[in-house]
Amino acid sequence: MPEAGETLLAIDGVGKRFGDLAALDGVSLDITAGEIHGLLGENGAGKSTLCNIVFGVLRADAGGMRLGGTPYRPTGPAGALAAGVAMVHQHFSLVGDLSVVDNLLLGQARGFLRRAEFAAEVVRLSETFGLALRPQAIVDDLSVGERQRVEIVKCLMRRPRLLVLDEPTAVLLPAEIEGLLQVCERVAASGCGIVLVTHKLAEIRRTAHRVTVLRHGRVVARSDAPADEIDRLVRAMIQRDLVGAAPTLRAAVGSASAAPAAATAVGDVVLRVEGLGLRDASGVRRLDNIGFSVHRGEIVGIAGVEGNGQSELVAVLAGATAATEGGFRVDDQPFANGSPKALTAAGVGVVPEDRHREGCVPAMSLALNLALSTLQRFRRWGLVDRVALAGEARDRMRAFDIRAAGPEVPFASLSGGNQQKAVLARELSLPGLRLLVAAQPTRGLDVGAVEAIYAQIRAAAERGVAVLLASSELDELLAVADRLLVMYRGRVMGECAATAESRPRIGAWMAGHAA
Amino acid sequence: MTVLAVARPGMRPWRSELWVPVGAVVVALLGGLALVAAAGVALPAAVAAFADGAWGSAYAIGASLNRAVALGFVGLGFIVAHRANLTNVGGEGQIAAGGIVSTALCLYGGAASLPGPLAWIVPLTAAAIAGGVWGSIAGVLKVRIGTNEVISTLLLSFIGVWALYGCVQSTRVLRQPMTDSATLPESLEVPLATQVPALVSGLDMPLHAGAVVLLALAALVAVVLARSLFGLRLRAVGLNPPAARRAGMPIGATVVIAMFIAGAFAGLAGGFMLQGEQLALKARFPSGYGIDGLVVGLLARGTVKGVLASALLFGFLRSGGIAMELSAGVPSAIVLVIQGLVILLLAGSAWWLHRSRRA
Repeated sequence: MPEAGETLLAIDGVGKRFGDLAALDGVSLDITAGEIHGLLGENGAGKSTLCNIVFGVLRADAGGMRLGGTPYRPTGPAGALAAGVAMVHQHFSLVGDLSVVDNLLLGQARGFLRRAEFAAEVVRLSETFGLALRPQAIVDDLSVGERQRVEIVKCLMRRPRLLVLDEPTAVLLPAEIEGLLQVCERVAASGCGIVLVTHKLAEIRRTAHRVTVLRHGRVVARSDAPADEIDRLVRAMIQRDLVGAAPTLRAAVGSASAAPAAATAVGDVVLRVEGLGLRDASGVRRLDNIGFSVHRGEIVGIAGVEGNGQSELVAVLAGATAATEGGFRVDDQPFANGSPKALTAAGVGVVPEDRHREGCVPAMSLALNLALSTLQRFRRWGLVDRVALAGEARDRMRAFDIRAAGPEVPFASLSGGNQQKAVLARELSLPGLRLLVAAQPTRGLDVGAVEAIYAQIRAAAERGVAVLLASSELDELLAVADRLLVMYRGRVMGECAATAESRPRIGAWMAGHAA
Repeated sequence: MTVLAVARPGMRPWRSELWVPVGAVVVALLGGLALVAAAGVALPAAVAAFADGAWGSAYAIGASLNRAVALGFVGLGFIVAHRANLTNVGGEGQIAAGGIVSTALCLYGGAASLPGPLAWIVPLTAAAIAGGVWGSIAGVLKVRIGTNEVISTLLLSFIGVWALYGCVQSTRVLRQPMTDSATLPESLEVPLATQVPALVSGLDMPLHAGAVVLLALAALVAVVLARSLFGLRLRAVGLNPPAARRAGMPIGATVVIAMFIAGAFAGLAGGFMLQGEQLALKARFPSGYGIDGLVVGLLARGTVKGVLASALLFGFLRSGGIAMELSAGVPSAIVLVIQGLVILLLAGSAWWLHRSRRA
């Protein structure tokens, strides 16, 4: 292992273009052995592109890199791994049916499988770095946090000189985040360089030795003492002051959030969920006796670690999945397995969790996507009135600040933020809208777009729309919702006002402890 | 299935780069000539036979165009279903279904006694419905139990083709009365009233009224695909079923209707083939039109214009090829190889255009 403080990876003037877009433009930074180097930036700032270049997934168009003093030009992940660079991706690549050890063997076995030896190595690494792992556990039985630890062990088994972690905390419980950061510290202490990609300030403040901030593909700020310069770094990242910014904006960067404005006067019940249960095709219980209600003008947040039934709940409320027990009522009209069409007619708008899969048809035009669920309104003499369609699309683009060259451009050509604004625009413009169900509406968006999305949702609530908002970003929920439900393993663990004081109770509920 | 990979829904149609497919056809034909020469056939004789058979006389032109009309119908149906990301490879069986029903109505269903043009329009319509029903079985199977429509239409095709074979083998079904042991296994000729009239009378040109029907339906399909709510629904269902479902569109009904339309066009092709050209139902009735029509649909890359162009190409290519085989003695295998070359090079040029556009 190199001496701590010695330059490990030197990135010199690296540039990368995708068509007209300069994803990276003359980025230089160096990472020293034994440091945790925070890479901070909004979505689309170029963080992932840079990581992918370092890990050999992409090739730089300009500039070069040196690893441990020698030129480093990986032609693929295999080359990067051979050179001692490992990466933990946001999405895991594990085989669910296999045990932890077998997953680790998959990548590295040659000739005979030496399971016992491997298992011993797993235990040794786990103990050294505080990664509690049972080598014989089946991956499907593990929590997301545990699976991430398997990925980290997979990297560590190759004894890397440099470990890149791409947004590793996005999927973790608050308690798990702390554990992960401790692991990072131990790995760094062993002399390995760590690149921690994040847009969360709290993590930077807590662990990073140095920070580089990217914006629009350029380095806009550096700091050798990030904990003391958080405000300067945020300004560089989002080009705005955090002081006085909307609470949703503050929440989006993980800065402590203020309690939302006092709850608005609550109106009649719009959505009433009663005894709702769901078993999937293999008989596994996904939702268990869920009951709650959402009132006119109220924003109810659903918090919880991803995969605890939020997606299934939204799917049932959207009419995509039929409940196996119980049901729900919208304005006293019962729906057990309401079809999407009937729900649209009842005034239920849905922003689905996976907007590319369910929210839009990317190859069709923006105008068509803006009217997808109500196309029959544009039927004239059997044909679709394109002029009216484009006219309405232009109105929506103006009202919701959707930036695109025009209503006829393919939906896929829009940026993620504008796509999400368009989906939201369509759902919020439903005739007779009574209830909006939104799942993870801000995932993958930059802070500017997050702010715009929440402003629209708030405005809808003020007009009297009942809003149910599922998100794994607790800070955002606290900033925007009036009331929170916390889900754990398909059940509602608890319910509380969305205030900062509730935070400890929410954390406990998210981990499955009754508070 | 290289060809299948070429025409995906959502891909762009041929544009100004028309020279690329044209060049591909020319290169394929030149390659074909080289093969003919290699097979020891005198080139001038082969070329002359090809030209003669394809466009050498009014009769040849009419026959080529009739062939193109039948292929055009199958191709139109193919692109409608393909909008919904459904691949109908069951043209043969759907043509057979159309042929059986048309023959039955013309000979024994009393169609001949219907007034005026109804005598041939009614059996044609019935043929289209029969093909449509045959096609929609695959749609229902897909919606109900998720059977891949490529598999089910292909297998239904075998059933249709062999059902037709059975029909013409037995005098209790459609076979003509047995007068002696040499009576062919085919139906009687359909009555004159039920035959599709020639487009140009007096000339020795067999071109029938199907050409006009094809052009009218082609225009209708173009408008429906591009401008109607149903066309948009087909596209949405084809490109992203979960989003279409979320938007309240009836996915299952759209799939079944799309397969019905694909089958109906093939059934109509069968009706025209029977009432316009062959007049009697023979054992090998569909004779590859379903497969050629599938290729026409694929090469059209989703556009109606493309269907018409590739139907013409294949209509003439097939006629010329048969003539080359019959009068110049070119082995039929080589004719098939030339057709394969055309498909391969067109597919290759499509891939090349697609790639250069993205670069």
